[in-house]
Amino acid sequence: MPPKRKAQTQAPSSDEYESDEPPLSDQEDFERLKTKYDVVARVKQERATHVVDAASHLFKKCDQWDADLKPDHASRPIWVDDAGHIIMESFSPAFQDAQAFLIVIAEPQSRVSRIHEYSLTAHSLFAAMSVGLTTEDIIKQLDYYSKTSLPLGVRTFIQESTSSFGKARIVLKDTKYFIESTDPAILQELLRDPVIAECRTSGAEGFVQEAAPKMGNLAIPGTKLAAGANQVAQPGVQRQAEDMLATLREDDDEEEIDRVHSFQIIGEDRERVVKKCREIGTPLTEEYDFSQDNMNSSLEINLKPGTQIRDYQERALNKMFGNGRARSGIIVLPCGAGKTLVGITAACTVQKSTMVLCTSAMSVVQWRAEFIKWSNINPDDIAVFTSESKNKFPRNAGVIISTYTMISSSRNRSYDAEKVMEFIRSREWGLLIADEVHVVPANIFKKVTYSIASHSKLGLTATLLREDDKIDDLNFLIGPKLYEANWQELAEQGHIAKVQCAEVWCQMTPEFYTEYLKASSVQKKGLLSIMNPKKFQNCQYLIDYHEKRGDKIIVFSDNVYALQKYAQKLHKAYIFGDTPQAERLTILENFQHNPEVNTIFLSKIGDTSLDLPEATCLIQISSHYGSRRQEAQRLGRILRAKRRNDEGFNAFFYSLVSKDTVEMYYSSKRQAFLVDQGYAFKVITRLEGLQERSDLAFYTPQDRRELLVDVLMAKDADGEAEHIDGDMFGKYKAGGHKKKPGARRMAGTLSELSGGQDMAYIEYNKSRNKDFKQKGIKNDFIRKLNRGAVNAKKQARNAQ
Amino acid sequence: MSASTSQALDYLEGQTQITHQKLYEQPSTALAVFRCMLPHLAKTIVMAMLYMPRAFTIGDLDHWIRANSKGEREKAISVLQSLHIITHSQESSKSLSYRLESGFANSLRQALTGGGNHKSFGVPSSTPDKNDVDIAFLDQFARKQWEAILYFMVGSTSGLRDSTGLGETVGNGTRKLLEIGDFVTRANHGTITKTGFTFLLQEANAQVWSLLIVYLKQAPELGMNEVDVLSFIFMLGSLSLGQDYSTATLSPTQLQMLEDLNDFGIVYRSSKTSSRFYPTRLATTLTSDAGALQTTSTTFSNALRPSTAPGKGYIIVETNYRIYAYTSSHLQIAVLSLFARLSSRFPNLVSGKLTKDSIQRAIKLGIEARQIIDYLTAHAHPQMQKNNPVLPPTVMDQIRLWEYEGERIEATHGHLMKDFSSEKEYQDTLGYAESLGVLTWKSDQKRVFFVDRLEQISAYLVSKKEKR
Repeated sequence: MPPKRKAQTQAPSSDEYESDEPPLSDQEDFERLKTKYDVVARVKQERATHVVDAASHLFKKCDQWDADLKPDHASRPIWVDDAGHIIMESFSPAFQDAQAFLIVIAEPQSRVSRIHEYSLTAHSLFAAMSVGLTTEDIIKQLDYYSKTSLPLGVRTFIQESTSSFGKARIVLKDTKYFIESTDPAILQELLRDPVIAECRTSGAEGFVQEAAPKMGNLAIPGTKLAAGANQVAQPGVQRQAEDMLATLREDDDEEEIDRVHSFQIIGEDRERVVKKCREIGTPLTEEYDFSQDNMNSSLEINLKPGTQIRDYQERALNKMFGNGRARSGIIVLPCGAGKTLVGITAACTVQKSTMVLCTSAMSVVQWRAEFIKWSNINPDDIAVFTSESKNKFPRNAGVIISTYTMISSSRNRSYDAEKVMEFIRSREWGLLIADEVHVVPANIFKKVTYSIASHSKLGLTATLLREDDKIDDLNFLIGPKLYEANWQELAEQGHIAKVQCAEVWCQMTPEFYTEYLKASSVQKKGLLSIMNPKKFQNCQYLIDYHEKRGDKIIVFSDNVYALQKYAQKLHKAYIFGDTPQAERLTILENFQHNPEVNTIFLSKIGDTSLDLPEATCLIQISSHYGSRRQEAQRLGRILRAKRRNDEGFNAFFYSLVSKDTVEMYYSSKRQAFLVDQGYAFKVITRLEGLQERSDLAFYTPQDRRELLVDVLMAKDADGEAEHIDGDMFGKYKAGGHKKKPGARRMAGTLSELSGGQDMAYIEYNKSRNKDFKQKGIKNDFIRKLNRGAVNAKKQARNAQ
Repeated sequence: MSASTSQALDYLEGQTQITHQKLYEQPSTALAVFRCMLPHLAKTIVMAMLYMPRAFTIGDLDHWIRANSKGEREKAISVLQSLHIITHSQESSKSLSYRLESGFANSLRQALTGGGNHKSFGVPSSTPDKNDVDIAFLDQFARKQWEAILYFMVGSTSGLRDSTGLGETVGNGTRKLLEIGDFVTRANHGTITKTGFTFLLQEANAQVWSLLIVYLKQAPELGMNEVDVLSFIFMLGSLSLGQDYSTATLSPTQLQMLEDLNDFGIVYRSSKTSSRFYPTRLATTLTSDAGALQTTSTTFSNALRPSTAPGKGYIIVETNYRIYAYTSSHLQIAVLSLFARLSSRFPNLVSGKLTKDSIQRAIKLGIEARQIIDYLTAHAHPQMQKNNPVLPPTVMDQIRLWEYEGERIEATHGHLMKDFSSEKEYQDTLGYAESLGVLTWKSDQKRVFFVDRLEQISAYLVSKKEKR
C-alpha cells in the first residue's frame, strides 16, 4: 500500500517527541510546595490527640462528632471537616449562593443530585485569592455557610496558604514587568531575597503606589453589558482618569486597602523571578493589563453582532477578566459546552495577537473555522502553522493556530517552519490559548511557554484529571483553575445532551475463558477479553438496534487489532492512527452527511477534539485501562449532539466489558469521574432478544473456534493499545523503552507454511474504507463540469 | 392487624386448644387477641356473633359476604378456627354452623362491658409513688434499654468499642435469649446473624414481639407457665402509659417476668423489690391496632433518635454510591457500618460509601442484598422519598449484582430420579414431574432427572404400580 507508507513517513517529523528530555529542573520545587500545603499531613498530629468515642475507629478519614453544631444549622448548607473536605446539601435554601462561593475556593469532588462534595486545596485557595478574595472573606463566608463552627485546622490552613499565595502579582505594564501587591510587607519580604533584589531595575527605591484596578467599564463581548459599553468610552481613557485621581490622593492614607504597591523588574530576568518566588513560597499570579498596553498593536477582532455567550461562559470569563485585566488560568467546561467560543471571546476581549495551541492538525482546522464563524476577524489575519501549511499573518497583529508538537519540536525543522518559529519567538503575544490542556505533559508545556512570550495564558479542558498527579504542575505553568462547570446543570439547561450510560456485561464463552486463564501475557489476556465473541455479538446487536432507531454510532476501540477485526466483520468504516488524513476526512464527511453510513469505528485518535455533532450513540469495546479522563473525553463526543434539545432526547453511552476479566475492574475505575459528575451507569447483564437471534456473527461454534485460533495466533503487540498522537503524555512515557520487532518462533506444519492445506484466498472482510475512495461522480455532466474547473486552475497556474 | 404482630399470630396459632382456652379466661387477653390478632373481617364476624344467642349458620355467613371476597372470608374463618375462637357445629342435618367459643365470648363481653373481679387489666397502685416518674422519663428509659439490646447485637460485629458502655448494660439473660433466638452467634464474640439483621430492620414494635416470642418459647425451660407469660404480655398491652400498677395481683411467674421485662425496657421498676411497676411505651403499644400503632411507633422512633429532624428517614444514597446519614446515634452508625464503608462524621451527619467490599462483607455475615436495599429504602431521607423508586436504580442493581457475583452456583435440595426401566416410563414420570413444576434438571440421554419435591411423585409411582 504505497499511499499509506507515504503518510507514515511524513508524520513523525512533527508527531514525535524527544524522549530523552532532561528532568524538570524545578520538579523538586513543585514537590516541596505540594507537601508543604498538604492539608492531610497538617491535620495528622491534631488527630492523634483528638477525643474518641466508641465509634471513632470507624471514621478514619474524619471524626468530628464533638464539634459544636450551630443552633440554626438546619438552614446552613455545608459541613467542613478538619481536612478541608466540604459536604454540601443541594436542597438547602442557601445552596445557590454557597455553590457559587465554593466553586471559587474549592475543588469540586462530586456533584450529584442531592449532596455535593468539595475539597479545599492549596491550589483552589490560590485561585480564590487570585480572583480577589481575601483570607478574611474566605473564612468568614465559609463559617457563615457551615453548620458547625469551622475546625481550627481549616482556619489555619486557609490563613497559612493564603498568606503566601496570590499575594503578589507579576504584571506587564507598558511592556515592563512589575511585581505588584496590596501589601508592601510582602514586597519587602521578596526583595530580601538576593536573587530577586538583583533582578530589580536599578535606580528605583521605594514602591510605586497606585489605585487598585477595578472592573471599570470593561465589557466582555457577547455579554449583555457589552452592547452599550463599547460606545461609551474607551476603557483606557477611563483608567487614566482613575490613575490621576489616585496620584492626587497619594498623600491621604485613608484607603490603604485599595492601593497597590509595586516595583519593577528587569524584563529579561522575569523567568528567574517567577521561579525564585515560587521557591520561597510566594508564587506570583500573572495578570495582563491589556487595555493599557500600547506597545503591542491591537487586533481588529470582535464577536459578530448577535452572538450571545451563555451565562456559564460569561461566568467563566468574568473570573478571567474580573478586575479589568487578563488573569492566566484554566477554564474547565465539559466537551461540547463551547470551550472554543470561550477561547474566542477571550481573544476578542484582549484584542491583541493571539496564539492558539491544540492537539492535532484536525482541530487546528476546526479552530480556524470557529474563529471565522464567531468573530468578524479578517480571515487573512488567521495564520495556521502545521506540518502542512506554514503561514504568517500579514499585519502587526493576528492569530496563529498551531499544535503543541509544532511549537515544542526540537528536531530540525524545514526552512519554512524555522522562519515561522522565529516569527513567533520574536513577538509578544497578548493571549495564549491552550486547548485540551490536560494532555500536555509539563515539560512540553514549559517549552511552549518559554518559546512564546505571552502576557496571559488561558488553558481549556473538559477533564482536568490524570491518573498521575501531573495536573498539579499546570497550576504553576498556566495558572489556577478559574472555573469549573457543573455537568448536570448544563445538561438540565440543554447546553449539553442528556446521556444514558450503561455498562454491558458480556459473558466470556467457555473456550475464550479457558484460554484467558491460561494466557501468559497481559496483552493476550486483554485481546481475548476484547475479542470475546459474546461481546462481539452484543456490539453487533447494539449497532443494529441503534441504527434502526436512526442513531449515528461511534464505536471506540483502543486496540487496533480488534478495531480492524470488528469493523471488517461488520463491514463498517474505521479510522485509526495509520489512516491517511484524506481518507479520514472522507470517512468523517460520509458519517456526517451520508445516510448510508451510520456507524464508524474509531481508535484512540477519536478521543479528543473530534467534532461530530451527528453522533448520538457511543459504544466502547476496549479502552485504556482505568483512565477516567478517556472515559469522560469519549462521553464528550456525544454531549454536543445536534438533536439534544429534541423532546425526550437521550444520547447513549455503552461500555462493553467481558465478565470476570480485568476489564470489570478497570471499568469501575474509569467511571469514577463521570459518576461523581452525577452520571449513573446502569449495568445490563443481558440484552433483550439477543439469545433468539441467529443472524449475529460467530453464532456457530465453528466460527467461534476459528476466531479463537485467530486471536491466539495474534502477536502480543496486537494486544496493546495503539501508541499514536492524541495522547502526548502516553507517547512520552512509552518512548523510553520501545520494543524492537524481532523474529518469532512458533510451531507449525510445513503444509501450513507452503499453503498446502486446502485453503484458497478470498477476501471476506473487505474494508469499508475502500468503498468511499472508489465512489467517483457518476453523472456525466457534473464530471465534465469538474474537469473544466480543474483545467481552468491548471491554466491559471501556467499563466503565473 | 399490622405486620409486626403477624409473628405473634403465627406463634399463637401454633398453641394447643387447651392453652387457648386457658388464655381466654382473662378478659384482657381476649380483648388483646381480638384487637390485634384478627383480620378486619374476622373482627366483624366475632362482633356479630358475640351477642347472638344461636349458632351462626354458614349459609347466613355466605349471604353477608360478597362473592368476590371469598378469599378474605376463608382467611378470616381459618384464623378464627386456628385460634379456637369459633368452632364448627352440626346444628341440624343440613346446615353447618359456627359457634363462638364460650370462654372467649364471656371474657370478651366482660372486657367490653367491664365488671367482674378478674383484675386482668392490672391494678393501679392505690398509694402515690414517692419518686414519681413521667412519660418522658419512661420513654427515655425504654429507649435506652432497647437500644442497648440492638447495639449489643450490631456493636460487636461492627467492632464498635464499648467505651460508652452502651452494649454492656445488656443482662446475661437477654444475651442468652438473643443467642437462642439465633439473632447473634457465639462465634467470634457474638456476630449478628441473618435473622438478627432481619430483626434489626423491623420497626420497634415488631422487634419487641420477635424478642417476646423467643422469650415465650423459652418460658417452660425457665420453669414459667407459658399461659401466665402470654396473658401477662397481653395484659401489658392494655395498660396505660404513665400509670403505675401494683404487683400485688401478679402470679409468681409474672413477678419473675417483670425483672426480665425491666431489662428489655418494656416495664420500669425503680428497684427489684418495688411493689409497683410502670409500663413503658414499648408495652402499651404491643397490642394496639394498626392505626394507633403507627402514630405511636413514629413518636417512639423519634424518641429513639432525638438528633434527627422530624420525619422518618435519615439516609441519602447518591448515584455515586456515597451515602450520607443524618444521625449521631451509635446504633445507627453501627448498623450502617455493617454494609457501608464509613469515612467522616460530623455532629449530625455520617458519610460513607457503598463499596463492593463493604457489601460483600455484609453478605458474608448472612445479610442479604434485599435486606440492605429494604433498610436503605425504609430509612430514606425525606429528600430521597421524592423519587420513585426511592433509591437510585443503578445502586440497587449494583448491590444485587455484587451479591450475585458470589453466588454463581445455586444449590437445590431434592432427589435424583434414575434407573428407569424404559424410555416410556422415563418420559411418563418426567412429564408428570414437569406438570407439577418440581423438575429442576433433566438429562434425556442418561434418563435421569432431578426434582426438588418427592412426595407427589412417589405417590404417583405407587399408584401406577397398583394399577398394574
